[in-house]
Amino acid sequence: MALKIINPGLFTTVQDLGRYGYESYGFTPAGAMDYESCYLANALLGNDYDCAVLEMTLYGVTFEVLHSTSMASSGADMELTINNQPFDTGAAVDLVKGDVVKFGGVVKGARTYAAFSGGLDLPKELGSYATHTRSSMGGFKGRVLKAGDILPVKEKTVEHHFSKTTKELDEGNEIRFIPGQQHDRFDAENKKIFTTNEYTVTKDSDRMGCRLDGAVVEAADDNDILSEPTQFGSIQVPKNGQPIILLADRQTAGGYKKIGTVAKVDLPKIAQKKPGETVTFKEISVEEAAQLYKDSLRALTDGTYIETSVKFGLTRRRDALSIVQLMEG
Amino acid sequence: MEVKQYAEDALTINLGSEVDEKINRQLVQLKSAVTQLELEGITDIVLSYTSLIIYFDVLKADSKKITAALKTLDLTELEDMEYAYKVVKIPVCYGGEFGPDIERFKENGLTPEEVIHTHSDTEYLVYMLGFMPGFPFLGGLNEKLFKARLDSPRTNIPAGSVGIGGQQTGMYPFDSPGGWNLLGRTPVPLYDSAREDAILYEAGDRIIYTAIDEEEYAWIKEAYDKGEYTVETEYRGEEDGA
Repeated sequence: MALKIINPGLFTTVQDLGRYGYESYGFTPAGAMDYESCYLANALLGNDYDCAVLEMTLYGVTFEVLHSTSMASSGADMELTINNQPFDTGAAVDLVKGDVVKFGGVVKGARTYAAFSGGLDLPKELGSYATHTRSSMGGFKGRVLKAGDILPVKEKTVEHHFSKTTKELDEGNEIRFIPGQQHDRFDAENKKIFTTNEYTVTKDSDRMGCRLDGAVVEAADDNDILSEPTQFGSIQVPKNGQPIILLADRQTAGGYKKIGTVAKVDLPKIAQKKPGETVTFKEISVEEAAQLYKDSLRALTDGTYIETSVKFGLTRRRDALSIVQLMEG
Repeated sequence: MEVKQYAEDALTINLGSEVDEKINRQLVQLKSAVTQLELEGITDIVLSYTSLIIYFDVLKADSKKITAALKTLDLTELEDMEYAYKVVKIPVCYGGEFGPDIERFKENGLTPEEVIHTHSDTEYLVYMLGFMPGFPFLGGLNEKLFKARLDSPRTNIPAGSVGIGGQQTGMYPFDSPGGWNLLGRTPVPLYDSAREDAILYEAGDRIIYTAIDEEEYAWIKEAYDKGEYTVETEYRGEEDGA
């Protein structure tokens, strides 16, 4: 089973839930920017949750299906056509040999995930499929996809009951955070500035960090801190006072003061923001954040967001598939 | 011992605010003690200059239980604890095309030979890894070799380059832009996913650079690719001879 990339889109990489367990050696975990959508794309097909998926940013990939298989997508609403016929993202669909599948521009959100039967069939590096482009590690040859790449898929079409996800993309802009390592190095006035102003996502944002523009937040002192470990969601405040949220491709250590850590349940919101959109910050306790995260992981894995929907267009694809299979004997 | 939590899946223990060999030793001992507790759901323990971060799986581990277990550890008791570390000998070909900045140390009053003599055969302590995979933050550089970073950073430093940036020495496991003064290069890949130790060292280990010439560089490179060269590593502490 395989797919042939015709147009790689703006920034398409192979990801999974991240390369964890190697941070003590300085390995960036990388992995999906939006863990919820990554879980759901795999769940729609009944895949294991750590199967390799495609992460597409703002403008998606076009590929030719070399062998029939099934696909599910989740995350940002993106234009999707199969042989020029429109389909919805957020659902499972069968792909027939010879199909041209085209993900176009995003309609809502920023990142869409595509999963395939059994996952993409690639070698793991240090236990993960996640691509970290800066160290050329994992995924497909450690890089973004290019036209002409052949991506192997593990399995043929699977029984997926035409499932679709009921989870709407969370377009809220309130980002909850846990007080960070240097939270007490900011005085009451600056903490208030941080939690009462809107910050705009700038176009310098990428998988490494979400760079914000807004009211200046200043620490009480000018002293640098020693390099220390960073987290997915660490909110660094450099000397210019414009916060940067560290994301999947962050360096594992950093020397800027961290006012907070984004609650994990709100990381997907950040991942789905486009440059020009805004966020605000609200402090919550680590206990509350942990409970929200546990609830979120349970809901993602117990079928809460999956329902079956048989649409005429989808069943027609199943018929087309049967015919191809008959002809192939 | 104070245990802080700055993320849903991580607990942090901080032991100070300065670069200090003693703190590094305490952190290494602490990491070893935490590992021996065999707590359920722990996914990684990361050392930095002054802190230890314990990551766990939120669905498998209970942060309160881990915190309670950590609080039973006594730092003063740990001080007497034997701890194991490695001394890794990295061969380096100094000067020439591999170390284009070695001549710049004339400003420090040192000939290239003196730079090599001062930099090699010295034990450097690995305080932490970061910046890029396998990049060691090393302590123990002779102050005669302190040298400010280049005014204009190079756009590409080849993997394996060994250099000096300010008061630190270190090496680049991957090609990268950077402003360090380059002294030489090692023919041994610092990251190799096919090797038993993909990265050869971790926080608390020691690194010694040994000077080799261009012929040896070529020989080691070829032998490594054939699987016939292993980096010389000495094990010290409780796992002596292991």
